[in-house]
Amino acid sequence: MESVTAARDFLKGNEALAYGALKTGLNAFFGYPITPSSEIPETLAAEYGNPQYPGFKVFLQAASEIEAINMVIGAAATGAKVMAATSGPGFSLKQEGISYAAAMELPMVIVDVNRGGPGLGNLGPEQTDYFQATKGGGHGGYRNIVLAPSSVPEMAAFPALAFSLAFKYRSPVIILTDAFLGQLKEDLMFPEVPAQEFDTSWATTGARGPERHILSSMHLDLPELSRHSEHLRSKFEGIDRAEQRSEKFQTDDADVVLVAYGICARLAQRAVGMLREKGIRAGLLRPITLSPFPRGELAALVERGVQNFIVVELNTGQMVDDVRLATGGRARIASMQRVGGLLPSPLDIVHQVEAMSR
Amino acid sequence: MIGAEGHYEVKLGPLPTLTGKPTHYCAGCEHGTLTRLIASALHELGVRERTVLVDSVGCSVLAHEYLNTDAIQAPHGRAPAVMTGIKRMRPDLLVFAVQGDGDAVSIGLSELIYAANRGEPITIFLVNNGIYGMTGGQMAPTTPAGMITMTTPHGRDIATTGPPLDASKLLATLEAPAYVKRVLLPVTPTPSADFYNARGSMEGARSVRNAFRVQEKGGFSFVEFVSTCNVNWKMSILQSKHYATEVLAKVFPPGLFKDKFGVEKG
Amino acid sequence: MKIETILAGHGGQGVLELANWLAYFYLVKGRHVAYTPSYGPETRGGKVKCYVVCSDELIDSPIVEDPDILVVMNTPSMDFVPLLKARGTLVVNSSLVKDSRRRADVEVVEVPATEIAGGLRAYSPEKGKDTVIAANSVMFGACLAVSGESLRDELDLIREVFGHFLTGRKAAYIPLNVKAVEEGFEHVSRARSAEPSRTSSVPHPGIAP
Repeated sequence: MESVTAARDFLKGNEALAYGALKTGLNAFFGYPITPSSEIPETLAAEYGNPQYPGFKVFLQAASEIEAINMVIGAAATGAKVMAATSGPGFSLKQEGISYAAAMELPMVIVDVNRGGPGLGNLGPEQTDYFQATKGGGHGGYRNIVLAPSSVPEMAAFPALAFSLAFKYRSPVIILTDAFLGQLKEDLMFPEVPAQEFDTSWATTGARGPERHILSSMHLDLPELSRHSEHLRSKFEGIDRAEQRSEKFQTDDADVVLVAYGICARLAQRAVGMLREKGIRAGLLRPITLSPFPRGELAALVERGVQNFIVVELNTGQMVDDVRLATGGRARIASMQRVGGLLPSPLDIVHQVEAMSR
Repeated sequence: MIGAEGHYEVKLGPLPTLTGKPTHYCAGCEHGTLTRLIASALHELGVRERTVLVDSVGCSVLAHEYLNTDAIQAPHGRAPAVMTGIKRMRPDLLVFAVQGDGDAVSIGLSELIYAANRGEPITIFLVNNGIYGMTGGQMAPTTPAGMITMTTPHGRDIATTGPPLDASKLLATLEAPAYVKRVLLPVTPTPSADFYNARGSMEGARSVRNAFRVQEKGGFSFVEFVSTCNVNWKMSILQSKHYATEVLAKVFPPGLFKDKFGVEKG
Repeated sequence: MKIETILAGHGGQGVLELANWLAYFYLVKGRHVAYTPSYGPETRGGKVKCYVVCSDELIDSPIVEDPDILVVMNTPSMDFVPLLKARGTLVVNSSLVKDSRRRADVEVVEVPATEIAGGLRAYSPEKGKDTVIAANSVMFGACLAVSGESLRDELDLIREVFGHFLTGRKAAYIPLNVKAVEEGFEHVSRARSAEPSRTSSVPHPGIAP
């Protein structure tokens, strides 16, 4: 049999993400160790200086999560492709920095490997940072773009997508993954990514004659701040129109649609197969962008006549709110929740769907 | 000086490194002096087009309104980290910040120490007036014992709050920094109080130039300017100059703590 | 073709390494693979339980609930036997696990892996004769036999797998590990030809996508 997967790599999610970033031309990484994300800075530290990645100019372990995000701000201000990676507690610490970055319209990629929380929590996988990532997270009114990979190949591919969105819209982009995907190993082949060059004419790299660039989030004049915030809002409205991403699995004739992202989407997909074998017409909608949320696809499903949605997530009910908003009260929405790092098995999901069908 | 042209030769005129906008600083504040010293040094060195100013949070937050260079704002206390990010990506740029004592020694102490400890080739000017200015006069890490502030209405009690922190001395204990200096910037009253000497400004001008030179040589440079805040000290401008000379400068004596490249000699 | 495997034992037995080898073997053979290391409440107290899925198609769930193959390296891990699919295969290190015939509807493949490894004088370089190593490589050979692989054709591939994981100073142990694989494989092949009625060498097709 001809090998369909010749020359594929076998990497864990965190490693795949690090290599994905390197291959798309990462310039700088500023990190702080926190389980379960530490393989990302460790991989990058090991590859620093590798002539295969000539663009990778700066690797620095900061003294704190806060120091790291502020280093990211500085490097991003020069127009560089900059990334940081952390887990929940560190993501909390970075929120002020992300607020500043959003206000100054700085492109950057921040990875959150969601672990158990709140507080110190544990090292198991959760999806409890959903609110924090998608509803702003930091102070002030702004929205991040949030991507949710659900496989090791996506962990490898998403840095390139994240940087292209970050620079297209001059916005921080969050890659929200979890402790399970970070450690899962799968086969993958790195996509051929054309070298991306972005417009960085706004960068602060020294005045040119009378013209100078100021990156500031301070607008003391009230109408001026109002205009700036309205600009950020309309920018996000454009992102919302153009960048919703999701994947549908057997939804065309489905009576009940599961909605899940990340590792839950993989388990839900198996559950769909198992349900179909039992004669239940189930389907799966997998959001790929959590922000902008794929409201369009959800609304279309409702339009087509889907009456039942079951949201499967590793929290006590976060994405389900967005599903309720998107379906506008025109369908039954149920919420299947697991926390503490526990995962629902595909059979658990099957039983839940069956129970709800009765 | 407005209206002075007829009687005096105007020496301190416009500079390409100044926007020319009148500053918002209070009368009697050394921020204005420092702004001028920085603009002069940048102009002399001819580096305007490769300079990036990092705004901190405090009275210096509007620095980019007066200094005519590229600028980026840092969150409160984080300027040393933001500067690190810029300089690591673009070692060819001249990167500096003006920070207040709250920004650099309170919320930003960790960022300050680590940037200094890594020997980042950046420049930090600390305006130390022993109080939080912008937010209305609360206690700062550098507030002297017994001083009355908005959060120490009976005077700073060392038993509860600890003694004031000496940033220059702290940084001087580190191996990496190349230039650490403390200057008493305000005009100091002579005993008769009929005359003031501006030695501080001369020393300040020299220190600012040296600090930039040290950065160009690849070293971390830090100059602490002991200054005044007559508004929040609730003193007259004259009283505040006395207080800086007689009290603050005793808690924070001027001096050269580190000069790895010997720029003070040359 | 899809094979779902659960591997269980305790820390120090090389269960995670074994799972990695299996996954990589199938990756080099051109299959999609997913390896899930131990996680969750089942792994408290030094227990190890991990999953390997290999498939011609893209894999949905990396978590295995009803495996085709269950590899057991210690007695407490026999607790997972109820999970095995009917007509699935239990591969057990019979040097350490005595009572392995608990279900009539599954194939039980007993492999005295620790004894076989001991016979190869595979001892820990640090701890000496008290600690046998490469028992997991013996089990690797057993798993390959159970999955219907042909040793003769796959010896190069097995060397490639070990070459990927045993690097630097560990590379010196590759020949020993390959030998251990061969021994494990041969043991199972002999056992099966002796008891043909107990064999079920065709992997379960699994759930169609």
